[in-house]
Amino acid sequence: MTEPIVINKLTKDFGGFMAVDDLSLTVPRRSFMGFLGPNGAGKTTTIKILTNMLSASSGEAYLNGVDVTKDPKAALANVGAVVETPEFYPFLTPRETLSYLGELRGMSRQDIERRGREVLETVKMTDWADKRIGKFSKGMKQRVAIAQAILHEPSVIILDEPTSGLDPRGMVEVREILTELKRADYTVFMSSHLLNEVQEVCTDVVLIDHGKLLRSGSVASLVGQASVRRIEVAVLQKVSGELLNKVSKLDGVTELRAAGENQFMFSLKGGVEAQSKALMDLQSIGLNVVSYKESGLALESLYMSLIKDSR
Amino acid sequence: MMEANVEAVKNGGRALPSDLQQTVVVAKYDIMKYLRSRRLLGILIIEALVLVLITALVGTSERPHTVDGVIEQYVGFVSILIVLGATLFGGDAIVSEYQSRTGFLLFPNPVRKSSILAGKFASSVGAMGLVLVTYYAVAIAAGLVMGDGGLSDRVFASLGLSLLYGISAMAVAFLISSIMKGSTGALILTFALFFLILNIITSLIGQLGGTKPWFMIDFAGGTLSYIMSDPYPVDTTMSFEIAPGQSFTTYLFYPEVYLSIGVMVAYAVAAMVLAYIFFRRREMAA
Repeated sequence: MTEPIVINKLTKDFGGFMAVDDLSLTVPRRSFMGFLGPNGAGKTTTIKILTNMLSASSGEAYLNGVDVTKDPKAALANVGAVVETPEFYPFLTPRETLSYLGELRGMSRQDIERRGREVLETVKMTDWADKRIGKFSKGMKQRVAIAQAILHEPSVIILDEPTSGLDPRGMVEVREILTELKRADYTVFMSSHLLNEVQEVCTDVVLIDHGKLLRSGSVASLVGQASVRRIEVAVLQKVSGELLNKVSKLDGVTELRAAGENQFMFSLKGGVEAQSKALMDLQSIGLNVVSYKESGLALESLYMSLIKDSR
Repeated sequence: MMEANVEAVKNGGRALPSDLQQTVVVAKYDIMKYLRSRRLLGILIIEALVLVLITALVGTSERPHTVDGVIEQYVGFVSILIVLGATLFGGDAIVSEYQSRTGFLLFPNPVRKSSILAGKFASSVGAMGLVLVTYYAVAIAAGLVMGDGGLSDRVFASLGLSLLYGISAMAVAFLISSIMKGSTGALILTFALFFLILNIITSLIGQLGGTKPWFMIDFAGGTLSYIMSDPYPVDTTMSFEIAPGQSFTTYLFYPEVYLSIGVMVAYAVAAMVLAYIFFRRREMAA
């Protein structure tokens, strides 16, 4: 069986600006793959090519084995997508919108009714099913967008920054839906620049910058590869220049800075062994350590180091 | 080359509808848009006001009228209704998918742009047809009530020419909509084109240039009014002496019915082919 998403030497040239540059990647079946990169890295361009909104300059993009650049209708048959924050036809209700898109996909009236109820329940929009979408908030529209993407029970779901522009509550709600999708055995390809979101929800991750692939693999293996971690330390003593000077001389410590009267932070090269040794070193120079923890996410550290290297 | 996964083509166990079936679905929901929007209501209100006004004028006139004569009074406004219809139903039909970002919802679905375009065109023409048929129905009813004699075939010919002119004007509106970047610009350009620009060009070519502008869509559309005249008017040349030894010649050209039908069909086909090419190539970039 072929993998559900296969991108092969994909290129998009916007008049000399290479938004996607010879990108190749594969999304394994039933994985939840995070598609990471800074703004302008080429994430949305790649997703737009996959969903037939942009043409590719060269290369291939297969969805369930069909090249979307050659036969988009067949390629998108078993795919659900939410690209950017779509707008809805304001004169339609969520139920009517689902009917419209369901009919376009050849779903029977009974199927549309049954699945419509289910997906609106999943995205917690049942109470709004018969209200016109025109005046819905962005978060509500995003939930309806996710509902339409899973209406026809596709094998592949493509999401482009699904929590972008939402308020904290909206982000939590959409993340809950994403967690539901993860349980439901879909293959999900989701772009994001929110690393905590990716680390929380995704099983696999692809990192790109300048349209090129930087790294891909399972989240666990990439987190394990993170060679530089940010460490946050709280001590009983006041953090003085002399104390920071001593800390800066310890093995693997870089980018040291005070972070309050009794706290400081530094970057540390190496894995968990290096972290353990650094703690002992801090105690050996006479510091009374109150807390010692990794600041931020391992994925973030890897991301930052890879992005820095690629620029 | 990899083999297509059966799942993809079968749409999760379901066969995808044919392009024609999808065209019908797009048209159905687009018609719902018009039924629920203020545009159709607005144009019907304008139509009602015009009908009341013309009925009042004809009703208070003491001149005796034939049925066709009464209807002819109404037909004079049909061209404006067509311009309004093409503007409101076609002017932003395509561009709005991009500007209002509804394309992000519609385009990732397994539906060809040709089906989207055809569906939207069918619904826009349907809305235009509803407006025109309603207008003619009221005009015919008024003619039968206020006029003498019977209803001639010329009225139905006029309705047919109106529908054809409506279709070709709608196709041009779709072409504009597939090229323009903003909805407002597309609406204004469509209205200005039919209301002003084409009229000026046709006048310059015909009345001043002395060349019969048979190839102009608005000129061809004029048949819907002239067909009501019995006999059908013929081309005329008029010369005026504006100074000793100097004369000014003006030309009054009238469109030939069959040639005009061909011109309107050609405009409709060419505009829709071009609209499709532009729409298919257009990317959902922002």
